Amino acid sequence: MIPVTVIAGYLGSGKTTLINKFLVEASSPIAVLVNDFGELDIDSKLIDNEESLTLSLTNGCVCCKLSDDIGASLESLKNRDISAVVIEASGVSLPIKIANYGLSWPGFTLNAIITVVDGQSIARLLKDKFVMHTVKNQIQQADAVLLNRSNNLPLEELHKFTTNVIDENEISDFSDLILKEYSPIQLVKEGTTDHASFRTSVFTSNKPVNKEKIKEYFLSNPNIQRAKGWIKEEDGSCFLLQMTPSECNFSFSNSNNETRIVIIYIGEGLPALKL
Amino acid sequence: MITVFLAKSIITMNASMPRAEAVAVRDGKILETGTLESLQPWLSKYDHKIDEQFKNSFIIPGLIDPHLHPSMAAVLLPTYFITAMEWKMPWGTTPATRSAAEYDERLKEALSTPTHGELFITWGHHALWHGPISRSRINSIDSKKPIIVWNRSFHELCMNDAALDLLDIKESDVKNATQIDFERGRFYEIGLGYAIQKLNPYILAPEVFKDGLLKLKEVVHFGGQTTIADMAVGLFDLETELKTQNDLYEVDDNPFRVELVAHSTVMQQGNSVEDAEKLISELPSRNSHRLNFRKRVKLFTDGAFFAQVAQLLEPGYIDGHQGEWLSTPEQFEENTRVFWNKGYAIHVHCTGDLGLELAVDTLEKMQEEKPRFNHGFTIEHFGFSTPEQVFRLSKLGANISANVYYVHELSEIYSNDSVGFERASSMARIGSSFREGITTTLHSDFTMAPAQPLMSMWVAVNRINEKGNLMCQEECITPQQGLEAITINAARVLGLDHEIGSIRAGKKADFTILEEDPLNIDPIKIKDIDIKATVFEGKVFSLKSQ
Repeated sequence: MIPVTVIAGYLGSGKTTLINKFLVEASSPIAVLVNDFGELDIDSKLIDNEESLTLSLTNGCVCCKLSDDIGASLESLKNRDISAVVIEASGVSLPIKIANYGLSWPGFTLNAIITVVDGQSIARLLKDKFVMHTVKNQIQQADAVLLNRSNNLPLEELHKFTTNVIDENEISDFSDLILKEYSPIQLVKEGTTDHASFRTSVFTSNKPVNKEKIKEYFLSNPNIQRAKGWIKEEDGSCFLLQMTPSECNFSFSNSNNETRIVIIYIGEGLPALKL
Repeated sequence: MITVFLAKSIITMNASMPRAEAVAVRDGKILETGTLESLQPWLSKYDHKIDEQFKNSFIIPGLIDPHLHPSMAAVLLPTYFITAMEWKMPWGTTPATRSAAEYDERLKEALSTPTHGELFITWGHHALWHGPISRSRINSIDSKKPIIVWNRSFHELCMNDAALDLLDIKESDVKNATQIDFERGRFYEIGLGYAIQKLNPYILAPEVFKDGLLKLKEVVHFGGQTTIADMAVGLFDLETELKTQNDLYEVDDNPFRVELVAHSTVMQQGNSVEDAEKLISELPSRNSHRLNFRKRVKLFTDGAFFAQVAQLLEPGYIDGHQGEWLSTPEQFEENTRVFWNKGYAIHVHCTGDLGLELAVDTLEKMQEEKPRFNHGFTIEHFGFSTPEQVFRLSKLGANISANVYYVHELSEIYSNDSVGFERASSMARIGSSFREGITTTLHSDFTMAPAQPLMSMWVAVNRINEKGNLMCQEECITPQQGLEAITINAARVLGLDHEIGSIRAGKKADFTILEEDPLNIDPIKIKDIDIKATVFEGKVFSLKSQ
């Protein structure tokens, strides 16, 4: 399964710059899909690795176009020697919708959603009458928020929506971003519509939990689509949980996080998780 | 040779001579409208014949649908319709199917009519009426024939075992996909994209696409239309669309013209907006008699009305979900400015009141920067709006092209589940737009609504929804305004009012022949008026009795 990383963020936030950094530093071939119209800004000179490639895509919903450019591109990448796919979402995309390609296109898996925020304009955008909700959703749906040009930004503004902020100045290796593991997704409860039928819920506990019980719970509730988070067992050991409809993996972690799991599911509701 | 058509009454839509009894036509154009007596100065001088075939009928200007999508229609029309609403089609009426048992019965009967070779595709399933669909349910109807059940919304489809086999979709390939439910045979959203990849060889096969466009030709004629506009050329592939339309519609027996408007997002693919403008400016060099690009472009603000992703002003949707933008407001403004400054008529897809707010704010900015008059900036769809926006649109000189069928199909369900009665009942607020003096037309956006202008007129005049409830009497328009909307106003919105849209000396001889007078009939019967024939540039195209 090829991992898909979604790079979201409003127009001018620095998505393309970030992707150019990935391309410079990538040691194995990656594919970049740009889901936006207009000129392609990816600097082709930066693609040192001959196996890496970029593809430009049109915006639009499959029901209005009867074609699916992102899907078609992923399909064409299946048989190539690609180690990762990065999708640059358009400035107004809701990242969760693009992330669904990672969750739903056969042969691929979702790695993470990274939303890029421009520290100089975010306060204004969060008050803009047209895009305030779009920008807020982009931040809240991210696994990690990458903060650009952070000078002068009152961090508490951003912390209203997410605590998962990485300051660009603190990053040494950008290719790490598409390979590393993230702490749990910060998500809001979504309304259900024809388009977004996923719901999310967050499970937290201060008491120790049992891996096996959690696994049993996930595998016995088929409407759970994905879960990610930390769990802490009786002996104090901490595990990173990654769950997809077919498997539930725990990997030992040296960190010391409290139990917190984000669950994405479809349908009316979930039975309570009793431990 | 002059032909004089006589009629019980001719409704000209020319305010200076609203009614006539005879119209003289030569070389596809109108010489004069009036009575046999008043036409004598022409008739005494030139050869002529009197055509009495419409003498017991009513002649109105050829009807115009200023916004539909032939390419989408070409994909949909080859499918077999089983729908909750009645759809009148040239080849027969699809009755309303309103229960699960009835649905299964219809599907079983339908299987003897092939749609896509070995694959059978039906469209129109809606769980609210027809119950949940699943692989096993379709299997129980027929497990040997490959069957696809496509949802009314287009957002979901369901297959039986034989279809999964035919398309070579295996459980092992799709078991991790969250938007594919293999067990139930359901594919939605991203999963739908995957299914469509597999289906494209069937639904976009050249002969099927061609068959679809030929069916659309019948549909357009059947609706009494002599002009339609393709409001987003390039939706699939500009070259294929142009070539196929040219092959099939630029022929002598084609009873309508197609006004072509380029899809700006597609033209911008990999280009700057300035480059896209240049490409669009060159398209008219490919014009032919019936198929014409002009200085027009299609732009977009917010998401689809049927999918509930229109962008709304406060207080938004009842369940709190957010709509979607199709481009950033900054990009929308930049694109608008380039086309505005070059003198284009800009058609903007707007469905929600926040989407509309962006269009109105942008138009206001353009008018400050570079004032223009009679500029053709047109709001397309016009789902939700506020009275204040209608007032501003009027002051800024914008036009409105409304999909009023929303009121019929969606106002009840949107009242209950989406935005509440106040806003749902006043969707497509066209009574207000007429009161503000805005040039207002109606469209079908076919296949979002039937491509029947008399149906659009009927909804606009009566505002009766599918449950039979009257939705906002204050926004009803008069039959006179309704007929203006689908004739002269549609011509104005397309920038063609000097050539079509009314019956007067000098215009093209495009007529629609009705068996009853649409201005003097009980308004509730407008949609049921029989269309006897159309006349396109002087040539009669009869319709079998409906």
